[in-house]
Amino acid sequence: METSVWTKVFLVTEDLFNKIATSKYNPLYYHGALPQFIMYVLFLSGLLLFAYYVPTIDNAYVSKNLVNAFTSVKYITNDIPFGAVVRAVHRYAGDAMVVAIVLHMVRVWFTDRYRQYRWVQWESGIVLLIMVLFIGQTGYYLIWDERSLILTRMTVSALETIPVIGVGLGHWFLNGRAISNLTLSNFLFIHIGLSFTLLFGLWIHYVRMTRPVITPPPVVNYVLMGLLLLVVYLFPITATKMADLQSLTTNSMDIDLFFLFPYWVLSQTGMFGFWAFTIIGTLAVCLIPLPMGAKPIEAAEVVNTKCTGCTFCSRDCPYQAIEMVPAPAGSRFKLIATVKSYRCSGCGVCVGACAFDAIDLPNLLDTDVTEKIKQLSKAQS
Amino acid sequence: MSDEKTVITLICERAADVHDILNKEGQCTTVPGLKAITLPCSGMIQPLMIEAAMKAGASGVIVCGCQIGDCYYREGNKMIRERLLGERPPGLKKTVDRRRVMALWLSRLQKGRFETEAKEFVAYCSQLDGDVKVAAKIEGAKATPAAAPAASGAKIDTAPAAVPAAKIDSKDEKPKPREEAMTTPEAKFEPKETAKGEAKATGTDSGAQNAEGAAVKAEESAEKKADAKKAAADDATPQAKD
Repeated sequence: METSVWTKVFLVTEDLFNKIATSKYNPLYYHGALPQFIMYVLFLSGLLLFAYYVPTIDNAYVSKNLVNAFTSVKYITNDIPFGAVVRAVHRYAGDAMVVAIVLHMVRVWFTDRYRQYRWVQWESGIVLLIMVLFIGQTGYYLIWDERSLILTRMTVSALETIPVIGVGLGHWFLNGRAISNLTLSNFLFIHIGLSFTLLFGLWIHYVRMTRPVITPPPVVNYVLMGLLLLVVYLFPITATKMADLQSLTTNSMDIDLFFLFPYWVLSQTGMFGFWAFTIIGTLAVCLIPLPMGAKPIEAAEVVNTKCTGCTFCSRDCPYQAIEMVPAPAGSRFKLIATVKSYRCSGCGVCVGACAFDAIDLPNLLDTDVTEKIKQLSKAQS
Repeated sequence: MSDEKTVITLICERAADVHDILNKEGQCTTVPGLKAITLPCSGMIQPLMIEAAMKAGASGVIVCGCQIGDCYYREGNKMIRERLLGERPPGLKKTVDRRRVMALWLSRLQKGRFETEAKEFVAYCSQLDGDVKVAAKIEGAKATPAAAPAASGAKIDTAPAAVPAAKIDSKDEKPKPREEAMTTPEAKFEPKETAKGEAKATGTDSGAQNAEGAAVKAEESAEKKADAKKAAADDATPQAKD
């Protein structure tokens, strides 16, 4: 078994964390659960923000009492107790989510845990990442400051370059032919609606895994929240200017590279470069799990005459690859195990779970292993 | 030393990297008396395999998987850990001497750690074997009340230096060491960090969780140490009466 340099990098880092935190609390062993926890933080803080947010632009009547998206965000930030904290938590938790997802992705990639029987997890993970990025971007539109306006215009112009459906997509995005009061309600719908769609994506992400690790230990969560609040305290969100639909002159803005890097690409390379980057990048990431150089998997096989239908193997299988089905007529038992070979990883956990020798890895029979154990045990005595 | 027994290691091929210290027969070149079989995952280990090894005459069994939490196949090491602890079926038979089973959870890079732990365990197992032989001799000779305590004293003196004193199990002098080990698996395999004698053995690396077997041994001896002297002293009388 070869160990790649990247696996070693992770092993060394993880060992370091194990020394500090023990393996039970090692955050790197919960790389998949961390984004999920951050998602709950985002849901909760987003719910609080939603209570005061007003999704309109109302630019026609600029006055001191104007209530629109920008002033409601300003009200949340300045007047509501801890409103600024909740808003900052929502923003930085979003950044943290991207960081956690990328860490998760890099780790499963570098430790070779993403392909073959895991391809559904990899592909659904990419969809989830793209969704998270888009949700984050719509979050930046909702503030309705100058940056929001630039981003909206950039998005519409990017959509309009798509042949045939582009113009329609642009109209859909703005909820009309131009930016209007209805535009922000569409953004809010995309932002919140897509957030809840994440749960559906996560279901697909988890569906082939038995007992997915989706909750880090509380201590890890507390530390993460502590770090988040520290960032909130150190880098409070700075005040910005309200979007002005009449202005066409603004041509620079702060970029949150976690979410807004596609816009940076767009500004640097122009429309063609942007779409090339997006499409080729996404395809490349989707094609990573192609089984090149991977050891072919020999799925476990049930010995039908020995299986007693005890369900141990199906309960222990980490990939939901063993299903208990009604035993054929005439059998002494009610159930019999069947292996879904396309889900099987060939790990042999089912062999360890079987007390009746009724399931086997075809390339490593447990009777052979036991024979070898006996032989080695005897050799010297 | 022709009747030297072996310790069998059942090791995950992704755990501690042992392939370069094994020869073709599975003999470990750096730890004498240790043989290893590699499996795709420690989750594949059946408790029956451990029983088979013991029955065939192995002195002890080391189960080695990856760090808990880092199984390549997600849960294999947790599964075998729970099976050994009696928390998940199928479990280890009660007749298996728990002191002779050690579980190690080591990552790819912890080969050195594997060797030191394995050496200590091999020494500990041969110590157990020695104790059984002494006990058999005592029983065979029907020692006089005076001779038995003397024999037990001598045995402790001859303990190999490699084995920490805490690990010497005086209860073995009793004629039935096997039955003594036949308590519930749960009690024997508690993976607690509280075992004081174990601190020296595992404190050097990442957490006590890594070497539960050692913890088991130490904890056992910690609880037995208290009544060890009493047992050694009391032993002689019933034996003589037999």
